[in-house]
Amino acid sequence: MATYLTRRILQVIPTLFVISLLLFGLLSMKPGDPIDEMRRGNPGFTQADYDRLREFYGLDKPWYVQYWRWLGRVMHGDFGPSRQFGRPAAQYIFKYRFPNTVLLSGLSLLVAFCVAVPTGVISALRQHSSVDYVITVVNFIGVSIPIFWLGIMLIYIFAVHFRGFLPAGGLATPGVTGTWPIFVDRLEHLLLPVIALSSLQLAQWTRFMRSSMLETIQLDFVVTARSKGISERRVIFKHALRNAILPLITLVGLNVPLLFSGAILTETVFNWPGMGRAIFDAILVNDFNVAMVSLMFISLLVLTFNLLADLTYALVDPRIRYG
Amino acid sequence: MIRRIVVMTLVTGLFVSLAGWAGPALNSLVIGSTQEPSNLCPWEGSADTKENLMGIFNIGLTFFDSEGVLQPGLATELPTEANGRLAVIRDADGQVTRQQVVWTIRDDAYWSDGVPITSDDAIFTFKVQNTTEMMVTTRAFSNLIEEIIKVDDKSFQIIYKTPNLFYANVGGSIGLARHYDIAPKHIWEPIYDQVMEAITANPENASTIIQGQFLGSSPSTGTGTVVGSGAFEFVEWQINQFIRFTRRADFFLDPPGPVANYLQEVTVRYIVAQPTLLSGIIAGEIEASDDIGLAGLDPVILKAQLGNQGVVDVTPSGFIEKLNFNLFPQCQTAVDLLLGDKRTRQAIIQAIDREDLARTVYPGASVSNSFLVAGDIGFDETLKAWEYDPAAASALLADLGWTDSDGNGILERTVDGKVIEFRLHWVATTADFRMRTGEVLLEMLADVGIKLEVENLPGSVVFSSEYLNYGSECTWRGIVEYAEGGGIGQAPADPLSNELWANDLLEVPVDAVLENTPLPENSFGGTNITGWVSAEFDQMRAEALQEFDLAKRSAIVVLMQQLYNEELPTVPLYDRSEVVTKMTGLVNYVKGTAAARTQFWNAWEWGWEQNGAVAVR
Repeated sequence: MATYLTRRILQVIPTLFVISLLLFGLLSMKPGDPIDEMRRGNPGFTQADYDRLREFYGLDKPWYVQYWRWLGRVMHGDFGPSRQFGRPAAQYIFKYRFPNTVLLSGLSLLVAFCVAVPTGVISALRQHSSVDYVITVVNFIGVSIPIFWLGIMLIYIFAVHFRGFLPAGGLATPGVTGTWPIFVDRLEHLLLPVIALSSLQLAQWTRFMRSSMLETIQLDFVVTARSKGISERRVIFKHALRNAILPLITLVGLNVPLLFSGAILTETVFNWPGMGRAIFDAILVNDFNVAMVSLMFISLLVLTFNLLADLTYALVDPRIRYG
Repeated sequence: MIRRIVVMTLVTGLFVSLAGWAGPALNSLVIGSTQEPSNLCPWEGSADTKENLMGIFNIGLTFFDSEGVLQPGLATELPTEANGRLAVIRDADGQVTRQQVVWTIRDDAYWSDGVPITSDDAIFTFKVQNTTEMMVTTRAFSNLIEEIIKVDDKSFQIIYKTPNLFYANVGGSIGLARHYDIAPKHIWEPIYDQVMEAITANPENASTIIQGQFLGSSPSTGTGTVVGSGAFEFVEWQINQFIRFTRRADFFLDPPGPVANYLQEVTVRYIVAQPTLLSGIIAGEIEASDDIGLAGLDPVILKAQLGNQGVVDVTPSGFIEKLNFNLFPQCQTAVDLLLGDKRTRQAIIQAIDREDLARTVYPGASVSNSFLVAGDIGFDETLKAWEYDPAAASALLADLGWTDSDGNGILERTVDGKVIEFRLHWVATTADFRMRTGEVLLEMLADVGIKLEVENLPGSVVFSSEYLNYGSECTWRGIVEYAEGGGIGQAPADPLSNELWANDLLEVPVDAVLENTPLPENSFGGTNITGWVSAEFDQMRAEALQEFDLAKRSAIVVLMQQLYNEELPTVPLYDRSEVVTKMTGLVNYVKGTAAARTQFWNAWEWGWEQNGAVAVR
């Protein structure tokens, strides 16, 4: 196991290097640069200003020269400043964006998982019952409804129609002070985006859990457990569930990185300042440094969670061993 | 226990929710915008978003009021020849060759931390602006200044090396960004000194040092002490969320009534998605919008959605939406379509029902015929308006040899045995109203046999210099549509300071060098992206820029507009309107004229009628 772990960790380094080269090259191929944004916002902007600023930002160099310089700085822990906001790009992402994404995506994942598992189990155990049918229909609706549409509808109902019952978006209400009011305010701002973001995952994972459970309870070891007189509750939760949940764990593990980068629609609709939106905006306005640090981080997350999923699998299933 | 927690949460939640409706109750205002400024550095950038924001906690030496009249702000009075503050030297022909202006700062003008605003601040501001290594966005205006001399603690003299007719306009004095002229020396000088020291020690890393230590400094990022000269003082900036300000007790301009009756707190919330911003407005969380966030929305529909809770204002923006033609002889497609012949462009403008187009895609906008807007010096109200006349358009196209001989509805002509169809490439950004424009133009031009090939691309692509400036390489082969400020209200409010389509810059007589037309010879630099070459236009522009007499300058500008209107290097579609909402009861929240360009010019007068604020605008 230690050998396997070491090997996997060491593989991350060249993988990230190749990814960084590809990302930088792709971003460089995109037309435009930050100076174009300045030109648009300043009618008095002259060609002399343009040339001066391109040289200032090093944009007059070929992309591979710019990449080499970027790599050199990154080796020293400097990911460069955000051209959009002036702060260090890494600070901008990890201090101002990443925690918000962890909060929203983490809570959504937790809600989806905690609801999907028991719901899937119940649906499987009561197959073909009215409970099962209701859960199935709700799941199909959850899978079919686009997240952004659901988000807009939630805003319309709870913020517009019931005017101000819940906030229309944002992270917090400006000017709220006090620990308890801040906590409640944050919860209110989280409620709608978490519902929207978790809806698809919840529906998918419930169906998955149901299928996995249905498959597992028909296996021989479950029949054997029952025949040994073990209580049904113990048979289900100690024996069957433990096996049925394995594929879901893998799925959840593989989905975690996506939650950090793929919440852009939810973040846009609810004006939630998270990483998804940050990446999108950074690419649009050619804020290279922010785009690179974000995308590299997502890449690292994917690699890490792939590894964690494999390790968790081995933990849960003693038959699996790595060498 | 659990029940108790739930009840407490709901009650607190209700209280917190009600805080969103607390505008009049707390004498505060929440403004919504879709665009957040990059930083608070006075020397970097002057886009509308930042100009608006800075206007809340800063004021310039002067400002435009809602009627477009220049008023003294930090200055004791506007400099004129009559009061002796403006001195000009003329040559034998009467042309102004030298110019000096003396400004005096008010005695009761203080920074928000209580430090007096002095001439040292002005001189320091100019010093930074002129520092070669410093990352300032533009030196177009500060380059007009030779030096600034201290007269006393409150007065300073600006000596211009190039006469500046608009010396008194906001930003025109020292050449900084719009809506503020002077930066606080006591805040920025330590940072500046530290940065210059670091650059001296490490000159090859100047860019990194400035980005990190100057633009990334705490006053710039709002994480440290931020002081301003305006009616409100900075409180906090939660990046990507909001910026808060509270009213200063020591601001020198008073509202029309007891100060306590007017706003005590202003918060600007940044909401990227327009639908979410709109939801916040309708829900009452956002009590007013700026002039950026609701661009392109139909004011009539907006008013219906707001009902009695709000008011919708529509004002001209000063940005003219126009079709820019590729006139480069190097682009074969443009040559094949005879875009270089003015009759083609005249045909196209007559084939477009611009009134209908404006009404359909940008409600509230008014048709434009010039490259200037009302309020600009020299704006010609009598300029001929090209009327919608498809028959005349078809006749012109027939004169040019276009016919629909195969009956497929698309005009064609034969050149050297090759059949060329009139397929006109049209590119614009993916903004909703521009996507609708593409659909409308497709139909209108189809009526005269022109097949429009619509392409919508992200703004970062359309406006990139690799795209826009490469018309001679046929990156865009027909028309690129976007909006451009006519130059009004831009510091120093000189419509001609925008280089527009001048091929040559600031030289009389015009030489043969096409400095401003993007071509391989000048590395595709310049703003004349259409490639229109008019020595006559260049000549008039250069003469107008040097004309200090307003009446004479206006006369030249009128002639320029007439030439433009005849030649049509671009087809002006409409002057984009700006839609601003405000809750019922909010008074004096009035955009200035298009000339003034900013929504936030009079923050000290904003208030709620419910609290006794008096409406004077």
